[in-house]
Amino acid sequence: MAKPKVCDDWLAGCAGCEMSMLDIDERILQLVDLVDLRSTPITDLKVPDESGVDVGILTGAVNNTYNEEVAHTMRKRAKILVALGDCAVFGGVVAMRNFFKLEDALKRAYVDTESTEPGSKVPSDPELARPMTVKAVGEVVKVDVNVPGCPPEADVIFHVLSELAQGRMPELKGELLHWH
Amino acid sequence: MVNLKIDGQEISVPEGTTVMRAAEAAGIAIPKLCDHKELTPYGGCRLCLVEVEGARTLQPSCTLPVSDKMVVWTNTPQVREARKFVLTLIFSERNHFCMYCPVSGGDCELQNSAYAEGMTHWPLQPNWQPYPVDASHKDFMLDNNRCILCRRCIRACGELVGNFTLGVEERGARTMVIADLGVPLGESTCISCGTCIQVCPTGALIDRASAYRGREKDSQKVKSVCAGCSVGCGIVMVTRDNNLLRIEGDWDAPVNAGLLCEVGRFRPLDDPGERILTPLVKKDGALKAATWEEAIAVAASKLQPLAGKNGAGVSVVASPRLTAEALCAVSELFGAKLGSAQLATIDEPTPAPLRSTRPEFVGTLADLKDADCVVVVGADLVADHQVAGFLVKRSLPKGTRLIVVDAGENKLKLLADYAMTPKEGAERAVVAGILAAIKGQTGDAFSRDSGVAADVIAGAASIVSAAKKVVVVAGPLMHLSGALSELADATGAKIVSIYGKANTRAAAAYKLDGVFEPKGKQAVFLSLGDDKPDQKLVQHIQGAPFVIVQAAYASQVTAAADVVFPVETWAEQEGHFVNVEGKVQQARRGLTPPDEVWSSVKVLQTLAQQMGYELTADWQEEF
Repeated sequence: MAKPKVCDDWLAGCAGCEMSMLDIDERILQLVDLVDLRSTPITDLKVPDESGVDVGILTGAVNNTYNEEVAHTMRKRAKILVALGDCAVFGGVVAMRNFFKLEDALKRAYVDTESTEPGSKVPSDPELARPMTVKAVGEVVKVDVNVPGCPPEADVIFHVLSELAQGRMPELKGELLHWH
Repeated sequence: MVNLKIDGQEISVPEGTTVMRAAEAAGIAIPKLCDHKELTPYGGCRLCLVEVEGARTLQPSCTLPVSDKMVVWTNTPQVREARKFVLTLIFSERNHFCMYCPVSGGDCELQNSAYAEGMTHWPLQPNWQPYPVDASHKDFMLDNNRCILCRRCIRACGELVGNFTLGVEERGARTMVIADLGVPLGESTCISCGTCIQVCPTGALIDRASAYRGREKDSQKVKSVCAGCSVGCGIVMVTRDNNLLRIEGDWDAPVNAGLLCEVGRFRPLDDPGERILTPLVKKDGALKAATWEEAIAVAASKLQPLAGKNGAGVSVVASPRLTAEALCAVSELFGAKLGSAQLATIDEPTPAPLRSTRPEFVGTLADLKDADCVVVVGADLVADHQVAGFLVKRSLPKGTRLIVVDAGENKLKLLADYAMTPKEGAERAVVAGILAAIKGQTGDAFSRDSGVAADVIAGAASIVSAAKKVVVVAGPLMHLSGALSELADATGAKIVSIYGKANTRAAAAYKLDGVFEPKGKQAVFLSLGDDKPDQKLVQHIQGAPFVIVQAAYASQVTAAADVVFPVETWAEQEGHFVNVEGKVQQARRGLTPPDEVWSSVKVLQTLAQQMGYELTADWQEEF
């Protein structure tokens, strides 16, 4: 049997989930034996194969139109879509922005900050992705596996990935669904 | 009895039991949030929905009374689906990002419910609406973002404490828990008992001192007794790394059943000041750190020659916050062995317990539960012995009539059917007047003596005579009065005497009930424990030729001492407390004392040995 093809991409997040993924330590070698790792943010291949992959993993929340596009592409090309970490599952820390008006948040970031030169403007180049209300991945595309945690523990990530690599749908319960 | 079947198990429970309680009795746990065993069922959260055969829809088990031949299923796919949906609605209603919060401490019931249902996410997103946070109260905060509107706090405030400060405003999604008519908690009628934070299933009402300071698994819980007053409430000390995080009321405690007042819950966490960590001995006019051997030897050499000198000997005062064992040791060493006739406590001298004179009238705080008329005479249950006050206040909505007789200010009067303010010390005359009115005699003389109008006395008397069960809560100056005994004779009333500090009753039993008068004595011995000496005591020991102090904290008294023994605090000591009803309860050690600190009992025993005495430390277990 061919190894399952796995892709990973990040949306609006802090890369903490990827750090936690690396925390699985030497077990990553077992995973590499089990799967064919395709596109990730740190490999040369940046987008999932057009021909389709078995598992797509997304971390981070959907924060702008670019994130939305990435999520749609991943959904279209992956048989199983995993939302990894609180930002992907719920919106997480990124979604705290939703308590403010988007204009206020942008103004604070680009105009009002103490280190900003006077006269600065909010970038408005049409090439740029447009920020929007922060959403969980599940609000944009259908998610098959939700893995909450900020970040999810390495053991939880290993469980999810190894189950998927062996063709099973991972189930999170008991100790794998506890953060205290 | 009603017979029903829950999850295939045959169960028999009394009529009127709810399905929730019936299931609990059978060892079947039904998830719940708004339900609490000490509160009236409310049916607000819908997490406890169960399937009842023949019923059209799922039923909330917390409000559903059992009926005969009922068949209940608590864990069907339909029920589990409903629970997840209920939780989804609760999570999305406000800002509950705590579902995956790693610092909740494991005591968030909402989070635990989600874990129990295996929820990895919820399909409905919140509406990103910030809600008010009320941080105006000195001891706790109300964060409406975390509130699930279960109304446990509101029910606890009213049903358990009788204070009715908390309520809700608005309706539907705009519903908000508020204090009084929407004032900040810190400016409200809140009496800071903290019962609301103890029942809150989420982090909506959180204790400022302990929030985020320890997860459940990192903290220890020790059951003990409150040393705040003589009611003797059962407490749970929550500690972590030998720090006291918070104090909770013990739901299983016989006296308070989970309740605590501000004095018991919050004030023990206040900064107590500088701890004394080594024995101190005065050398060349200044207190210097010393070894235990040295300090004991200095004290013993001073005390030993005073044996048997009675009038000119040693004057002793002990704190009523000490354990019965320590009070017994003080009494034995200085009374029986050294022959001092001068034994006292910091507390005012207190009368002998009522039990010794008229046992047939003795009531307990539990009698307040089914009283239909409560007469409070000469006791301020709002200022002192507050939990006893809660028991009175919470009975009022059930129709219990309240009569308050007090020469002083007394906030309980605001709630009374008849509130009487006689002349100073004339409470007895009012009681005698009530008695006369019940017997159909004229009460004019009593009205004149007390300054309370005759028709008020007559009105109170009509309530008392109409009542089926009268309980008189009497302060220290009242409970032995002949008028009260006669009133009890005439009406069958129970008398609950209320007075003193945590162990005043034990102190009295050990004859530590004299008046402290160090004048003319050659030495003063103060066993303070962690008590704070008042100015009167400080002035009293001024000019005493030799002062020996057992104390946990530095004070003006220790500064004036010749020898200071560092001893354990209430949270560190082990022993027994005798509450105002005579109930003997065990205090357990919640915190480990610092290395060089001894228990009061050990100090007294060592001191006795040095002088050639052996203390039996044979404290009685009956009071």
